[in-house]
Amino acid sequence: MSGFLVRRLGLALVQLVVVASLIFLLVRLIPGDAARAVAGEIATKEQVAAIRAEMGLDRPVWGQFLDFWAGLLRGDLGTSLISGREVMLDLPPRVANSLELVLIALALAVLIGVPLGRWAALRADRAGDHLVTGAGILGISLPVFVLGTLLLLVFSLWLPILPPERFVTIGQDPAAHLRALVLPVVTLTAASTAVIARMTRSSMLETLSADYVRTARSKGLAETLVVRRHALRTALIPVVSITGVELATLIGSTVLVETIFGWPGMSSFLMNAVGSRDYPVIQAVVLSTATIVIAVNFAADLVIRALDPRTEAV
Amino acid sequence: MSHGKPDRRQVLRGGAALLGTTALAGCAQAGGLDPALDRVRPGAEGEPARGGVLRFGLSTDPSNFHPHISAGSASDTVVQLVYNGLLAFDADGEIVGDLAREFGWDTDTRYEVTLHSEVYFHDGSRLTAADVVHSFELMLDPDNGTTTGPLLAGVEKVSAPSADTVLFELAEPNATLPFALASRSANVVSRAWWEGGADPRTSMMGTGPFTFVERIPGVSLTFERFDRYFVPELPYLNGIQFTPMIDDYARVTALRSATVDMIDYVPATHLDVVRRNPRLDLVSDTTFGFGCIGFVTDRPPFDDVRVRKAVALSIDRKAILDTAFLGNGEPMTGGLTAPSVADYANDLEGTYEYDPDQAAHLLKKAGVRGLDLSMVTTSSYSVISRPAEAALQSLRTAGVDVSLERQEWLTFRDTVQARTFPSFSWGTAPAYGDPDAMRDFVGTGGVWADYLKFSDDKVDGLLAEGRRTRDRGLREELYHKAEERVLDLCPWVLTVRREQGEAFHTYVRGFFHPPKGAWTLIALRQTWLEER
Repeated sequence: MSGFLVRRLGLALVQLVVVASLIFLLVRLIPGDAARAVAGEIATKEQVAAIRAEMGLDRPVWGQFLDFWAGLLRGDLGTSLISGREVMLDLPPRVANSLELVLIALALAVLIGVPLGRWAALRADRAGDHLVTGAGILGISLPVFVLGTLLLLVFSLWLPILPPERFVTIGQDPAAHLRALVLPVVTLTAASTAVIARMTRSSMLETLSADYVRTARSKGLAETLVVRRHALRTALIPVVSITGVELATLIGSTVLVETIFGWPGMSSFLMNAVGSRDYPVIQAVVLSTATIVIAVNFAADLVIRALDPRTEAV
Repeated sequence: MSHGKPDRRQVLRGGAALLGTTALAGCAQAGGLDPALDRVRPGAEGEPARGGVLRFGLSTDPSNFHPHISAGSASDTVVQLVYNGLLAFDADGEIVGDLAREFGWDTDTRYEVTLHSEVYFHDGSRLTAADVVHSFELMLDPDNGTTTGPLLAGVEKVSAPSADTVLFELAEPNATLPFALASRSANVVSRAWWEGGADPRTSMMGTGPFTFVERIPGVSLTFERFDRYFVPELPYLNGIQFTPMIDDYARVTALRSATVDMIDYVPATHLDVVRRNPRLDLVSDTTFGFGCIGFVTDRPPFDDVRVRKAVALSIDRKAILDTAFLGNGEPMTGGLTAPSVADYANDLEGTYEYDPDQAAHLLKKAGVRGLDLSMVTTSSYSVISRPAEAALQSLRTAGVDVSLERQEWLTFRDTVQARTFPSFSWGTAPAYGDPDAMRDFVGTGGVWADYLKFSDDKVDGLLAEGRRTRDRGLREELYHKAEERVLDLCPWVLTVRREQGEAFHTYVRGFFHPPKGAWTLIALRQTWLEER
């Protein structure tokens, strides 16, 4: 186990170094820079150049790169070129806000998707199975921006059960915070639930026809035990893998969901930063996202090993 | 697994606990104001109520708070709450005093401003004429690259002959100086604050009715009432909190559901929705915001004026207006200046009507067969991209083989400046409501003229002459000729003047949108809230 942990942590570290270096270089390839964003629409070339120099963006890229790494090793993610605030001041709450959405959505997707997939598999080719499969296709096909906008329209304007709320922290007003959470979470959960349900169903169908399940049945074990202890456990291994992938998909989807519902998460933070070429913020958010995805995949590997110790996850 | 190592149940439980803990982490960053500030105290009969916090859905997260650089309307809006200029625009778009108690021309080349007394900065220091002089010296210094600098061209000296008087001395008469002094980026700063090392791009400290409290990027911008504001009864509000809402639909939905009290940039697609809602008010103009197609005029085939005119005649402006803005606005078949700004503007209407036959004739005369029009626009703002897309149909109908590339905003601006494409489709607004504002676009040295590679001595001469006289009739005549000349040279094609405005709940009172003068939300200074 410890060898496995060391190998995986080492790999994660290498991945993070590569991601950090790549994102530093890639953002600088995008045309336009923060100087143009703050200079205004009618700024002359000279005005933009003056601001560029003031921001230090006219320095050689390799010098900026070394500064970036020196800062990163000290835990300093730099200062926003637009707001002048330390990135570390704004990043943690934005990451937490996004993780709140994503993790609740993922947890709901697993809690709903796995039982639903199992239920459908046990009713293969019957009405219930077709219903789940059809709903799954709908869930996967419906883009989050369409679903989010529809939910907003129906539940906020037509039937004002959940009118849009100004974002408040759970500490400020727990009830308002939870009300504001409902529609974005539902929007994010839909597609992931469908993916997990479909994966569970197909995996269950495969394991239910496996020899060892047939053996368990022939030994006279109760069907619920056969399904829960023998079939489902094995069937969950690909589901755990796909759950890790779904997390990355959900983080991607938050770009739209946070915009539609005015949720101040890291994706909207990133979008704003990209729009104004706020390099330190872009680098910090992408690095955080990469860390989260790597950490979750690492956790997924641990869970898979826990479910099936024979699995060599590296 | 052996003892001492986590078994699979422990791993699974640990994972679940981590998930739950993170999900309930509570999160932070709402950008809060003291809830007590929300309380509205009714005013006496016919008097505005006092107190409350106005929640405002802002179309952009401001990129710069610099008091002398205009970085877009969102930046200007917040800057004008914290700073004052010498002059401003009133509800009719007329120039009135801001920090100036009295103002006017002393001679043709001397403009004198007398300041209000008892004006204080937010740090408690008192405004002096020296602060005003220092502010204008900053604006005039070309090294500072301010937006206001070019507007103040011709100002040779700014001085303070007395403690409350500021004198502008010009090299030659300039009738547009009051517009420059009233512009959104001609703000007065504290010399001590400025020289004390403050970063004016990210912090603000002025004499305005609201003090800057906090900015949480992408979340909120918070302002609180300044109790020592020099206009005794203002501001009525305890505070204003802006929430950047970039998505048009989300902004309108937030307004309709009263998540915010007011929004800017009501999208054209929702103007009628807002108008029909009895709980909402809309104030707007069709004076400033306009769309255009610009040409790089030294690049074939657009170095031939007949080709440019052919494109101008190939555009069905009414169709663009209907498609892009659902009819909310006006087609621009004449010059840049709106009829609400200059009387002559109506005479120029109809110069470029949709006439594909005439366009084909001009192309034939220019020896161009099958014109290829490669155009770039931005996908970032619907007010720019929608008319660009709407223009395609009529251009194609007229036989122009047009291709449109959509780029992200900053990329687009770089592309236009580098003149990578022979033409571009943009939407913007003149800096102020005087015909002289066209110099940014067609006057030699103007930023847009540089994009267009346009320079014309006759236009420059007429614009200069227009600035030199204060005779209204003569100015009309000169600018009429200048616009005629520009229409004849056709360095760009004006398409539509769009309706642009702000919407708010009916309990938001006292706000106005000047029909001319300048595009400004300065009326937020005197806005108040009725009890809901």
